[in-house]
Amino acid sequence: MRLRGGVATATAERPRASARRVRGGRHSPRGARARETVIPCHGRQRAAYGGCRAGDRRCSGYAEFVPARAASRGGKTPPVGRMLEGEVASVSGVIARMALPPPDPQFVLRGTSAAVHTLHFSCGGQEPDVPILFSGSENGFIHVWNLKTHRVDAALDGHGRKSVYCVQTMGGKEALLSQGRDQRICMWDLAEGRTSVTDSVFTENVGFCRCSLLKVAQGRWLMAMAAKATDEVQVLELPSKTSVCTLKPEVGAKLGMPMCLKLWQLSCGSQPLLLAGYEDGSVVLWNLSTGKALSQLVCHQEPVMSLDFDSEKAKGISGSSEKVLSIWSLNEQQNLQVYKTHKLVNAGISDITIRPDKKILATAGWDHRMRIFGWKKLKPLAVLDYHTATVHCVSFSDHKNPSERLLAAGSKDQRISIWSIYTQT
Amino acid sequence: MCSRDCALRTLLHSAHGDVVLSLYQPATLPLLGFAVSSLLGLAEHEKAKQIKISALKCLQVLVLQCDCQEHRCLDADEAQRCGDLFASFLPGISITLSRVITGDLKQGHKPTVSAIRLFYLIVGLVMADAQLARVPKNKEKLPVEQSRISELMVHRGPDWSKSTAEKLLLLLRKIVESSSVHPHWKVRLELVELVQHLLQNCSRSLVDSFSHLLKALVGLVNDENPEVQRRCQEVLQGMAEQGMVAQNRALADVLSENLHSLATALPRLINTQDDTGKVSTLSLLLGYLKLLGPKINFVLNSTSHLQRLSKALMQVLELDVTDVKIVEERGGGSASPCGPAGSLARRWQRKYFRFFTEEKVFQLLQQVCRVLGYYGNLYLLVDHFTALYSESGMYRKQAAMVLNELLAGAAGMGVDVLREREVSPNVDDLKGSVTSVLDEYTDQANWYLVTSIDAEEISHEHSVQHSKLSARPRGACSSVLLPSPEPPATTRTMNSNIWQICIQLEGIGCFAAVLGREFRLLLLSTLYPVLEKAGDKTLLISETALGTLADICEACGYDSVQSLINENSDYLVNGISLNLRQLVHQPHASQVLDTMLRHSDASLLPLVEDVIQDVLAALDQSYNHQAPTFLRVLHSVMTALVRWFGSSCGEELQAAEGQSRTLSLGPQVVTGQELQQFFLDYVRQKQIAEGDLPDTDEEADEVQPCAKLDPNGPDTEGEAPLPSHAQLAKDTMERCIHLLSDGNLRVRLQALDVLELCVTVLHPHGNHLLPLAHRAWPALVTRLISDDPLAVLRAFKVLCTLAQRCGDFLRQRFSRDVLPALTSSLRSQAPASARAGPIYSHTLAFKLQLAVLQGLGALCQRLDMGESDLNKVADACLIYLSAKQPMKLQEAAQSVFLHLMHMDPDSTWLLLSEICCPDRYRPPHASLQPVQLPGMGRQRDEFTDNILGLLEQLQQWESVEPWAGAHQDPPP
Repeated sequence: MRLRGGVATATAERPRASARRVRGGRHSPRGARARETVIPCHGRQRAAYGGCRAGDRRCSGYAEFVPARAASRGGKTPPVGRMLEGEVASVSGVIARMALPPPDPQFVLRGTSAAVHTLHFSCGGQEPDVPILFSGSENGFIHVWNLKTHRVDAALDGHGRKSVYCVQTMGGKEALLSQGRDQRICMWDLAEGRTSVTDSVFTENVGFCRCSLLKVAQGRWLMAMAAKATDEVQVLELPSKTSVCTLKPEVGAKLGMPMCLKLWQLSCGSQPLLLAGYEDGSVVLWNLSTGKALSQLVCHQEPVMSLDFDSEKAKGISGSSEKVLSIWSLNEQQNLQVYKTHKLVNAGISDITIRPDKKILATAGWDHRMRIFGWKKLKPLAVLDYHTATVHCVSFSDHKNPSERLLAAGSKDQRISIWSIYTQT
Repeated sequence: MCSRDCALRTLLHSAHGDVVLSLYQPATLPLLGFAVSSLLGLAEHEKAKQIKISALKCLQVLVLQCDCQEHRCLDADEAQRCGDLFASFLPGISITLSRVITGDLKQGHKPTVSAIRLFYLIVGLVMADAQLARVPKNKEKLPVEQSRISELMVHRGPDWSKSTAEKLLLLLRKIVESSSVHPHWKVRLELVELVQHLLQNCSRSLVDSFSHLLKALVGLVNDENPEVQRRCQEVLQGMAEQGMVAQNRALADVLSENLHSLATALPRLINTQDDTGKVSTLSLLLGYLKLLGPKINFVLNSTSHLQRLSKALMQVLELDVTDVKIVEERGGGSASPCGPAGSLARRWQRKYFRFFTEEKVFQLLQQVCRVLGYYGNLYLLVDHFTALYSESGMYRKQAAMVLNELLAGAAGMGVDVLREREVSPNVDDLKGSVTSVLDEYTDQANWYLVTSIDAEEISHEHSVQHSKLSARPRGACSSVLLPSPEPPATTRTMNSNIWQICIQLEGIGCFAAVLGREFRLLLLSTLYPVLEKAGDKTLLISETALGTLADICEACGYDSVQSLINENSDYLVNGISLNLRQLVHQPHASQVLDTMLRHSDASLLPLVEDVIQDVLAALDQSYNHQAPTFLRVLHSVMTALVRWFGSSCGEELQAAEGQSRTLSLGPQVVTGQELQQFFLDYVRQKQIAEGDLPDTDEEADEVQPCAKLDPNGPDTEGEAPLPSHAQLAKDTMERCIHLLSDGNLRVRLQALDVLELCVTVLHPHGNHLLPLAHRAWPALVTRLISDDPLAVLRAFKVLCTLAQRCGDFLRQRFSRDVLPALTSSLRSQAPASARAGPIYSHTLAFKLQLAVLQGLGALCQRLDMGESDLNKVADACLIYLSAKQPMKLQEAAQSVFLHLMHMDPDSTWLLLSEICCPDRYRPPHASLQPVQLPGMGRQRDEFTDNILGLLEQLQQWESVEPWAGAHQDPPP
């Protein structure tokens, strides 16, 4: 593994080690912490800072967060799941302020025995089909969760025990695509209980950029992924694995590595486009047919950790390791413009997902919490507090029946929390 | 006269076919009429029984219904003709016969039986549906010469048959009324035959009478005579098999009408009748339902029918909830772990009903519900009774009971029916119904009811209510149950609540049986609430819940409750961990964990470790408010750990103890050389004591133990990681240390208890225990020397447990921090206890003295205390050897001295002898001074008895250890 900045380690842990562990007995020595950074979840962020400036920003964010939590342990009743300070006014039904107990997950899935890095629902099937949740975890396993029994139906091992950080389905739940730290993207055949890898792509990329998948026709898919060269993105056609194009920034652009990708098209059959968030905090819109950048927008001072885009409203949102969510829009001239920014209390967003119905969005935070916002005005709706470590991913289910749709979050604390936020609103 | 009858009978008997038929012509009507009326006269008025019977028999032959098989059957035309003929006699015959049947009981059963038989034969012949259907519209004209006779003939047209049926209705009612309660069983048997015959032949013409006939038939199903019962059953079976009810609309109407009126009258009947009456009423109800079979749905579809029936069931099934014992019986949290599942498999709790006590009545009601469920439309019934369940608190228990039975019946469990249903409901339907009922049962408003007036629990229940009321607009339903926000928790309401929970638990067990393995899917939502109740403090509830668990095991194919819990621990852990987050609202999470731990073994630990960490984390968040609840959880966790892993620690400990004992008690053969060595040593020791030796030695002595301790301290900590249970104990102990100095006495006591368990678990891991003990020590000392006596008592227990392992560690601290306080308190308390009366033994002060005295000896031995400390102990305990002290304290003090003798026999001997010495010691050699002890030759005083006993004991040991005996002369 090429961890360019073993760099920030020492400084990075400064505030955290002292402040976080106020009371607990398990005081892990600093050495152990530093070693821990090799594991992908931290490594991902760390590698991202690696080459660039201000490597310890994430931790300063942490330090600011800590006192609040530590104080709550100290004695006063901790308002668990409380609203963001200053954002309280607009609560609607999800959490009435103090009278109601804080919202709980509907269920918690345990048993991955490693940090969870990615989640993907597959609930679209007809009645006899059981809704499924795929989870990819740090120990290289992909767990297939049966959402009826809440138990693992199968555990797939295809990435040589290296962290799996992206799982997607291609069509039904029988065809699965997974990306792991072994630099491979695997295609799985899960029909009739099979658990075999049918094909795989060697990415040669050492980053943590999740690939993006777009269905362009029946049985034809486009997949964008970070390529071997540090700043390149490659687009392949699946299942043939033929290269469509390679997107290379202009010489001297210094975008850094791609951090997150989103392939989209306005309507079926129209020209597919790619949005990519880069290490230097900018979001770039690429034209796949010309291989040229259409527009570039600097949204953040820090690497873009995650982005999602709503093609109907031509609006997107991105989060980084800072305390800011950035919302940007795409005008008719295919230019990206900053639309709005939203300030957060605690820094660090590891994942952002807009719900398929485009009404709300969820963020996964380094402060162990998920936040729910209204997508239209970015109105804060709820803070979901359950996890005891960084939340790595959030995902909405695609169930046909709206009342059975779910939100899932996977965290470093090895648990997956399932929330039912449709029925409660 | 008898002979004449016989003659006529024999004559008719032997007359063959055509010959006989020629007799039965319209022309002979007057003759026949005369014969009939004279025979009837005989049958009615004759006193001699024999003649009566004979007349009836003769009449029977006369109407061609002879019992014997020799005659050829009449063909339809002939029968028709005879029917026409006999129709003229029907009024006379039937009226007279009914008089005979309802006549004086003294006439015996035989005439009655014969009369009944004759009655149904003649009615069955004349009123037969087959014949009436063939009767032409108009009366056929007979030849003129016979016109006079034709006036005698009857035309069996519709009008006639209708009016006759009305008249027969009256007669039949009389007959049924009198003979269904006839003391002789043969009469009742004949009645069954009557019903069968008429139902068979006259199901159209006599339809109005069926109400009575069926009532008689169904009522006789439970006749005391097995013969009647069997026949009755056969007839019913036959009816059901032929589909008489299913095909005959009229019959079904009659039945449903009967059912309606019976359901209306049921509550009144059950209220007033005695037990046998109730049984017969209910078997009537059951009989109607069974007869209706699949037709039940027509009845149920009518709202008024369903209302009547359900209200009747609700009223009849009302429970008696006045028994105070139910609330009082408490299992407490410390019930022993249950054995294998086999011992759990017991039946449901016996219920006490308001209106009946007989078990049979309940069984009948159960059958009624099951038959309903078996034939009826399940969705309709479940909806209806669920509505009743949530409608009013009054009916809630009964409705739940009915629902349980309905679903059992729907699955065909334990139903006794006459006829198989055509379509049995599929599993999905059953599952749908079960799920909806389960949701209703385990709804917060129906599951968390006030069952005790435990102040702590009440406060929780209230908060539950509040949260619920505000959380959902389902207040309507909950407010019925607990009418006011501060419900008057009377024994009655609590009893009622307890029963309701039990019935719901039984229901869950029953549903599991209904669904079998399919129930596994529902465990996700069901297992948690059941385990919650298994940990309930009310005995009745927890036992019922255990029964439910056993039922679930059986239904879902688990070997034991343990495997049920282990295999579904993920569901339970999830529930616990989520509920722990809202402990204020969900105080029961700890009960679930407790039950899990109690019913499982060490294999559960890896599965629940996660959630125990959650508990600890949650405790960290709320030391102030929830500490007692959390400590209860931790206590149960630690108790489980001690149970699972304690044996290994215990064994080790015992082994070590045994070793030390053999060392101290082992027979030592003392040689002269050793004797010499002893004195040399003694001299050396004395010199040391006087400070003659260089200081370096002393330092070396002191350094040595430290050097010993140090190397295995940090070293071992680095190498082997603690096993998980010890790690848990360690984490828990850390929390307890904080709580040792809590402001609340109860919390302190709980913390001390948990601490003791932690120490027990950590025994084998000294390297981890010692640092913790070091941290706990200051708080523990404070508990020991300046706290409530209760806390002192527990703290002393903890100290004793701690001493078992960390003797070296504690020695110094104990003698410095605790011993002075202990001995001074013993001394200061001694006068009080010496003076006290018998009541003193119930006081806390006494218990404290006793505990300290009982523990002190062993403690000193474990800690291997130094001489000066031992002296202090001995001094303090000596006063308790006084005969004025309570007996128990004397014994405890003796035990202290026995321990001291083990450690230092010589000085103890000396000490005791200074108080009282029975023997004179003569020097073995004249050159030695005679020994003078202060205790010699004293008067007998309060100490004498105890000390003599102790010295004797010492002497016994010395006979094993001749070593000490060297000082002393052999007794004279």
